[in-house]
Amino acid sequence: MGIFSKLAEWLGVKRKECNIVVVGLDNSGKTTILNKLKPDDSQTSDIVPTIGFNVENFSSKSLQFNAFDMSGQGRYRNLWEHYYKDCQGVIFVIDSADKLRMPVAKDELDQLIQHPDLVSKRVPVLFFANKMDHRDALSSVKCSTLLKLDEISNKPWHICASNAITGEGLDEGVNWLSDQIKSYLRDLERRRR
Amino acid sequence: MHGFRRDKKEEEDGSGSHSLLHLDKSSVLQEARATFNGTPVVARKCSHVLTKILMVLNQGEAIGKEEATETFFAITKLFQSRDQAVRRLVYVCIKDMASISNDVIIVTSSLTKDMTGKEDEWRAPAIRALCRITDAQMLQSIERLMKQAMVDKTPQVASAALTSSVHVARTNPEVVRRWLNEATEAASSSGEGLVQYHAIGLLYTARKHDKLAVRKLVSKHARIANRSSLACCLLIRIAAKALEEDDSVPNSGEMMDFIEGCLRHKSEMVIYEAARSLVGLNATNPKELAPAVSVLQLFCSSPKPTLRLAAVRTLSAAAAIQPAAVSACNLDLENLMSDGNRSVATLAMSTLLKTGGESSVERLVKQISSFMADIGDELKVEVVRAVRSLCEKFPRKASTLSATLAQMLRDEGGVEYKSALVDALIAVLHDDNDARNAALSHLCEFIEDCEHTSLATRVLHVLGREGPKTARPAAFIRYIYNRVILEAAAVRAAAVTALAQFGAHCPQLLPSILVLLRRCALDQDDEVRDRATLYIAIFQSEDQSLISSFISGEMHYSVTALEKSLKNYLKTSCSEEFDMKTVPIATPLEQGITSGSAPGSAPIEPVVARAKATVKEDPLEKVPQLAKYSPVFKSSGPLALTEALTEYTVSCVKHVTGSHVVLQFTCENTLTDQLLEDVWVQVEGDLEIVEIVNIDELKCGVQQSCYTVVELPDVDNLSSTFTLACTLKFKVRDCDPTTGEVDDGSYDDDYVLEDIEITVADHIQKVLKADWAAAWEELGPQNELEDTFALSAMNTLQEAVKQIHSFLGMQACERSDNVPEGRSAHTLLLAGVFRGGHAVLVRSRLALSNGVTMNLSVRSTDPRVSNLITQSVG
Repeated sequence: MGIFSKLAEWLGVKRKECNIVVVGLDNSGKTTILNKLKPDDSQTSDIVPTIGFNVENFSSKSLQFNAFDMSGQGRYRNLWEHYYKDCQGVIFVIDSADKLRMPVAKDELDQLIQHPDLVSKRVPVLFFANKMDHRDALSSVKCSTLLKLDEISNKPWHICASNAITGEGLDEGVNWLSDQIKSYLRDLERRRR
Repeated sequence: MHGFRRDKKEEEDGSGSHSLLHLDKSSVLQEARATFNGTPVVARKCSHVLTKILMVLNQGEAIGKEEATETFFAITKLFQSRDQAVRRLVYVCIKDMASISNDVIIVTSSLTKDMTGKEDEWRAPAIRALCRITDAQMLQSIERLMKQAMVDKTPQVASAALTSSVHVARTNPEVVRRWLNEATEAASSSGEGLVQYHAIGLLYTARKHDKLAVRKLVSKHARIANRSSLACCLLIRIAAKALEEDDSVPNSGEMMDFIEGCLRHKSEMVIYEAARSLVGLNATNPKELAPAVSVLQLFCSSPKPTLRLAAVRTLSAAAAIQPAAVSACNLDLENLMSDGNRSVATLAMSTLLKTGGESSVERLVKQISSFMADIGDELKVEVVRAVRSLCEKFPRKASTLSATLAQMLRDEGGVEYKSALVDALIAVLHDDNDARNAALSHLCEFIEDCEHTSLATRVLHVLGREGPKTARPAAFIRYIYNRVILEAAAVRAAAVTALAQFGAHCPQLLPSILVLLRRCALDQDDEVRDRATLYIAIFQSEDQSLISSFISGEMHYSVTALEKSLKNYLKTSCSEEFDMKTVPIATPLEQGITSGSAPGSAPIEPVVARAKATVKEDPLEKVPQLAKYSPVFKSSGPLALTEALTEYTVSCVKHVTGSHVVLQFTCENTLTDQLLEDVWVQVEGDLEIVEIVNIDELKCGVQQSCYTVVELPDVDNLSSTFTLACTLKFKVRDCDPTTGEVDDGSYDDDYVLEDIEITVADHIQKVLKADWAAAWEELGPQNELEDTFALSAMNTLQEAVKQIHSFLGMQACERSDNVPEGRSAHTLLLAGVFRGGHAVLVRSRLALSNGVTMNLSVRSTDPRVSNLITQSVG
C-alpha cells in the first residue's frame, strides 16, 4: 500500500478495505441482502439465483466491504471454501422460515467452522435470521438454538433477525461486523509486530 | 569486465522485457496465488502477473488440473477489482483456462453481471468468456441474456454475442437454433456493418445443411439495399457455395443475379468478391464470365497493388477454364508485365501464356527469358507449367517452345524447377513427333551438365525409350556413353540400361553397343557391372523373346507386390517354381509414378518409388480371415449400394483375387438411436458364398467394413456378367441417443441394397503397352477372334470409345482413346491382363454409319479368354 493511501486512510478520507464471504443455503436471501446494502442508485430490481458467485461492494461508516456472494445451490456449496483463505469476515444467511432445512444449514455451518482455513482464525461470523416478516419465521433465538451457536467458542459471532426487502435489521448486523473486523485487523497487525 | 560483457550480451538478445522471458510455470502460479489472495489487491501488480500467466499458457506448458483450478479460483477473486486493465486480462485468462481447470462454471454469475452491467468495455469480453465456460447443460440459463445481447444497440456487444454463438453452434447447434430470431433481427439492423456481417455468419452456420434455408437467407438479405460491404461479401460467398454444390436448384437464377448485381456495388471489396465467385463457379460459360472479367480488367489498372494482384490472380484462374473470355484483357495484362511487383508481373505473364493466340506466343516467350532471372523458383515453375500447356495447345509452336525450355534449363535453378522443366520437355516429346528430336537433343545437352542424379537417371530412361525410335539413333549413344565415363554409379547404371535399349531396338547398332557394354562390364560398381553382364548375356543368346521380355519389353508388375510375393515364396519350401502370373499387375497410374525408374534405371530411385507404393496396401492383409485370398488382382472403386442420406449407407469395393471375389462392404449407421450388431451382407445369385466376415458392433456415425467372399468358376464356365442381389442383415439394439445407454433386447432386421454386378472389366487389369503393334504381333494370330457389331445406341465415335473403354476396363494405348474431331472412322487399341496372368489385346475398329459399327479383334494367350471377351461384348 502506498504512502498516500495510508495517509488518506488515517485522515479518514478513504475507508479500509476488507473481504467477506456471504454464504448460506439457496433461497435464503444472500443476494437480496447485499443488493439492499448497496447504495440506492446501484440496486437492481430483479434477483435471480446466483450461479457460482458475485462480487458486490458496499461500505459501512468505517469500512469498505468486498463481499463474495456465493451461490447457495447444492452443487456449488463445495466451492465456498476457495474463498475462505483471505476473508476477514463471514456472513451466514439463514432462511428463518425454512425450519425443515435447518439441519442442512447446521451441517454447512459446521463444515465452515471446522475448515482448515478458518479454524485457527478469530474471524467474526455474522448470522442473519432472514425473512423475519414471514408468517412461519422462527425468532433469532430459536434459530441460534437450532444451529447450536452457543457451541462456537473460538470466533466472535452475532445473530440478528433481518428483512432483506425492507432492510430492517441489516444495519445493526453490519455495524457489529465492521466493529469486529476492525478489532480483528488490529489484532492481526499487533501480532505481526 | 566479465560481468559487463554478459550484461551487454543480454541486451543484445533483446531482453528489454526481462520479466516475461524464461518464465517458470510453478513460480508464476505461486506468485499468482500470493498476489491475488491479498487484500486489497494491487491492480498494477495483478495485471503484470496475469500477463505472466497468459504467457505461460501460450508457451504451451502443460498445467495440471489441480494447479490450474487453484490458480483459476485465485483469478476469480480479482472480480473485486474495478480496474479496467485487470478486468479485461481476467476475461482473457478465464477463456484460456476454461478447458484446463475444474469448476469454471463458478464465474457464471459474475460474468452475467458484467455482461448486463453499465460498463460497456466489460460487456463484450464478458460475453465471450461466458460462452467459453458454459457447457451444454448450463446453456439454458444464459439463453435469455444471449438473445438480449444479440440485439443490443452497442455494436461491440452484439458482435461479441453473435460471434460467440457461432462457436457455441459448433457444439450445441440445436440450442443456437432457438436464438435465430434475434440473429435475424440483428442481420437486418441498419446500424453497424460488422453486426450484420456476424449475424449473417451465424445464420448461415446454423442453417448451412439446409439448402432451402440457405437459399432463403440469400434471397432475403440480397434485397436489403443498405448493406455493409463485409456482409455483402459473405452473402456472395454463401451464394456461390450454394450454387457450386447444387446448380440445379430452381431459383439459382436469383442467386446468380445477386452475385452479378454485386459487380456494380460501390465497394471494391464486394466487386472483387463477386468477380472471384463468378470465376470460381465452374459452370460459367464465356458469356457469364464476361462482366466479371471486365471489372477485373478495371482493377488491373488500379493504383493499389493489392487490387492489381487480386485481379491478375483471378484472371489467371479464369484463363485456366475460359481462356477466350480473358483474352479481352490481354492489353492490360501486357502492361502489367512491366509492373514493379514481380508477383503481379509473373501472374500476368502466365495468364497471357494461357490466353494468348498462336501468333503472340513467340513474342511472349521472348519476354519470359528477360525476367526469369529475377523471380523465385515457385513462380518459375508456374511459368514452366504455362509454357507446357501452351505446347499442348499449339503443337506447331512446340519446337520454338522447347527451345525456350532448353534455354531455361541452362539457367540456375533448384531441383523442383529443373524437374518441372524436364517434365515439360518429356511431355513435349510424347505429344509431338516433330518436336521429339529437338527435345531429345535438349535433354542430352542437359544431362551433360546435370548435378541432380534423379533427373539424370530420369532423362537417361527417356532417352533409352524414345531414342531408338528416331531417325538417327546413333547420335544419342555418344551422350549416353559419356555418362558411363563421367558420372556417379547410379547414373552409370541408368546409362547402361539405356544403351541396352538401343541395342534391342536397333539391330544395326547392336555390334557397337556390345563393345560399349563389354567396357561397362569392367566398371568398379557392382550394379553397373551386373547390368552390363546381364545385357551382354541376353544379346548373345540371340533369343528374340528373351530380349523382348527383359530389355525392350516393359514390366507391368507392381514392384511392391512382386517383393511381397517373392518374400512369401521364400517362406515356402521353394520346391515349386515361382509363378510370375500370381503377381498382381500394377495399374498404369502406379506405373506413372515409378516409370522413371521401373526398368531399374538406378538403384536409389526405386527406394523412393517403393515408399510411395506401399501406401497402397493390400486391403486383405489387414483382415486375418481373408489373408488366405490375397494377393488382390484388381480392386474396383467404391460403388454406392444405397442412396445418400438413408438410414444405413453401404458402399461396396470388389477385390478380385485368383479364384475368388472378396466383396468389401463399408457400412455406416446414421441412426443415433440404434446400435447394430452382427452386421453382414447376404448375396444371392449365380455365385456361392464361401466366407463371411461380419461387423460385431456398429455404432452410429462410425464406418466399418464387413466382407463376403464368393467363389468364381474357372474360365470355362465364366459367364460375362454375374448379378448378385444384396441384403444387409443385422441385429438392432435400441439405444438412447443422448446417454448412449443400450437396451438389452435385440431383434433381427434386414435392409435391401442395390445389386452388384461382376463384369468382364473386373477380371481385367489395365496394362500400358508402349508399342502396341509389336505386342499384337508377338501374341500371334493363333488365339484371335473377330466379330462385328452394330452399336445403334451410339451417336458419336467418342461416345462409343468411352463406352467400350469403360466396359472392358482395359488400358487404351497409343492415345487411341481420343478421337480426332471430324473423323468418321477410328481404331481403338486396348491392352490388359486377364485374371490368372493372360495377356489380352483388343483392337476395335469403329466406323460411323447410322450409329456406330464396330469390328472387334481380340488376341490373347488363352483362347477361352478371347472367347469370353467377344461374347461379353455381344
